[in-house]
Amino acid sequence: MCSALRWLKWAAALLTCAAAQAGAAPASPPLEVVVKAAYLAKFAPFVVWPQGVFASPNAPLVLCVQGDDPFDGMLDRLTEGQSVGAHPVIVRRLPKLDPDSGCQIAYLAGSPAQSPAAALKAVEGQPVLTVTDAEEAGGKGIVNLVLVGGRVRFVIDVEKAGQSQLGISSKLLALAVGVKR
Amino acid sequence: MSGPRDPARRRIAVLWIGALVLVLASVGLAIREEALHRAVIVQQAVAQTDVLAGSVGAALSFNDADAMRQYLGALTRNPQVAAAAIYGADGRQLAVLARPGAAAPAMLDTAETQRVAGRVIVARPVTQQGQALGWVYIETTPEGRSAFIARHTGLVILTLLALLLLSFVTGSAARLTVANARLSEEIEARAAAEEALRQSQKLEALGQLTGGIAHDFNNLLQAIHGAFELILGKAGEEKTVRRWARNGLEAADRGASLTRQLLAFSRQQKLEMKPLVVAETIQRMRDMLTRTLGPRIELMLDLDAERIPVVSDVTQLEVAVMNLAVNARDAMPEGGRLTIRTRKINLAGDAVMADGPYLQLQVIDTGEGMPPHVARRAFDPFFTTKAVGKGTGLGLAQVYGVARQAGGDARIASSPNGGTTVTLLLHEASGLEAANEDATPARALTAGARARVLLVDDDEAVRRVVRGGLELRGFKVIDADSGEVALAKAAERPEIAVIDYAMPGMDGAQTAEQLRQLMPQLPIILASGHPDTASIERALGGQAIVLRKPFDIGELSETMSRMLATGT
Repeated sequence: MCSALRWLKWAAALLTCAAAQAGAAPASPPLEVVVKAAYLAKFAPFVVWPQGVFASPNAPLVLCVQGDDPFDGMLDRLTEGQSVGAHPVIVRRLPKLDPDSGCQIAYLAGSPAQSPAAALKAVEGQPVLTVTDAEEAGGKGIVNLVLVGGRVRFVIDVEKAGQSQLGISSKLLALAVGVKR
Repeated sequence: MSGPRDPARRRIAVLWIGALVLVLASVGLAIREEALHRAVIVQQAVAQTDVLAGSVGAALSFNDADAMRQYLGALTRNPQVAAAAIYGADGRQLAVLARPGAAAPAMLDTAETQRVAGRVIVARPVTQQGQALGWVYIETTPEGRSAFIARHTGLVILTLLALLLLSFVTGSAARLTVANARLSEEIEARAAAEEALRQSQKLEALGQLTGGIAHDFNNLLQAIHGAFELILGKAGEEKTVRRWARNGLEAADRGASLTRQLLAFSRQQKLEMKPLVVAETIQRMRDMLTRTLGPRIELMLDLDAERIPVVSDVTQLEVAVMNLAVNARDAMPEGGRLTIRTRKINLAGDAVMADGPYLQLQVIDTGEGMPPHVARRAFDPFFTTKAVGKGTGLGLAQVYGVARQAGGDARIASSPNGGTTVTLLLHEASGLEAANEDATPARALTAGARARVLLVDDDEAVRRVVRGGLELRGFKVIDADSGEVALAKAAERPEIAVIDYAMPGMDGAQTAEQLRQLMPQLPIILASGHPDTASIERALGGQAIVLRKPFDIGELSETMSRMLATGT
């Protein structure tokens, strides 16, 4: 056997492997995204909504993803069977956000139809915990996810939360890398 | 000094029970305090765990290891926390803090509070709005021995102090008990010694008395013996015989008087307490007193004329006056004057005697007197300043006895070389008629009695003398030397019986009783030397007359004549 060919085969195999890995990347999202999804699912217990937000004691708590959902169904899996108090958590995807969307938490991913900034504007003053991603351009929500030292953290805007009549648990504030008052 | 009745011992027992209670209470208190302390430790651990569970929620939820370490790190400042850990909802350990020697379990999925080997372990779930986020775990450091000791030292010291105090008190109580016991023993020993002393004094007094009486009796016997000797020697010379017979009789009378005195002193003689007038009694004694006092002493009678009756025994009163006269004579060896004075006085506010009318009888001499310490004891029985054989020490005691029996008192006033005055206060017997009869009745022969007398006496000498006397007075005597013989001789139909009380075999009372069964009407006279004549009369049911020995034949024959005359 020709050794040169053997080397080629090796190289080809390696390349194939690398290609396969590169191709698999979109199928399983990066760790950062997974963490963000997990965070989104975990904010709810630390937030208090004003009275009247829920139609009934066991009305669902709606977690909306505005725009292009980057989580690829992860949120549904993470929130499956989860409830906050007596409210089961459900996930809803919306291209556009408006005051009547019925969301309690809204992740503003943005889309051509509505930028995160526009979405923010749309629910300004509404009792909606807006979560934005600092990676995305546009305005900042009540919770703004940031990357610090390669780790996902968040900044909380207490002033905005107050304007939206939302109570944020001090425990959550304690965990935030920054609190805007 | 033993047994539960002893109060000191009981006090000690109470003290020891107190000590036991104290120790038990201390132990109980310590146990309670220990339990409280442990409960507090558990509470603290639970509270710490709850605080951790309450605060760590977000960090746990967001799996923020740094934050969790910070929360745990805050616990390291509490030295009671030995280990702490945070677990995820799946039970995996996410953060751990452990001091050397302590470890938190790798997995945890139950809430619990337990105590293991002195450590308190608390595990709590972490929830947020009903969402189970995970678990927290805290383990306390076991308490060191030194901390345990330090915690209880205060109580131990207090208890020890209390016990020390208690043992001190108990000890002193025990010492007190011992001292008390010793004191009691000493008191008993002293009492015994005093009793022994009293006994020896009594024996000494008895010796003195015996000596004195023996001497007196010897003299009397000597006189009687001498008289009889002379009578025997000169039996033919009637005049001489009569004189010596009188002398012998006199000596016998003195002997009788001496025994009366002794019996009066012992208070066993039946006293014949009758109303009498003292002045008259003394008046009758004038001759006797003069003879007793002798030629060197002048007798002065200063008697009241009011005939104040007092209740007394004539004989005893006479003996008392005679005793005082004899004492006065002995106090005036160089001669002097004896004054006997009677006065009616009204006593009021006397320290000893009740208020009222009294007859005051004073015997005053001008003799040598006596020092106060002698005067003080003058009335004590057996107290005498006379030499052994010269006096019995009973004279003034008898005087005192007479005064007391007459509801009065006797007092003595004397000073060395200032004479002596003895004062008798005799209670006036108001409303009573003094029946002062002649104390020396004529003991004439009762002629012509001619009665048959059954004379029963076991003593032949007595029997012979009495028989002689009675036959001299005309009685016909049937004599018997025992009760049995007397009963046999009842066939000779005696008209009266004279029976000695104290006889071997059937005594006088039994003989009298059986004679009465044979001859119910027979008058009986019992002769007894026993001082308690009253009890004998009681024993015979009042059916007999008891004649006190020694009696003289004249008295006996008189009594017999009277009984025969009255038929009793």
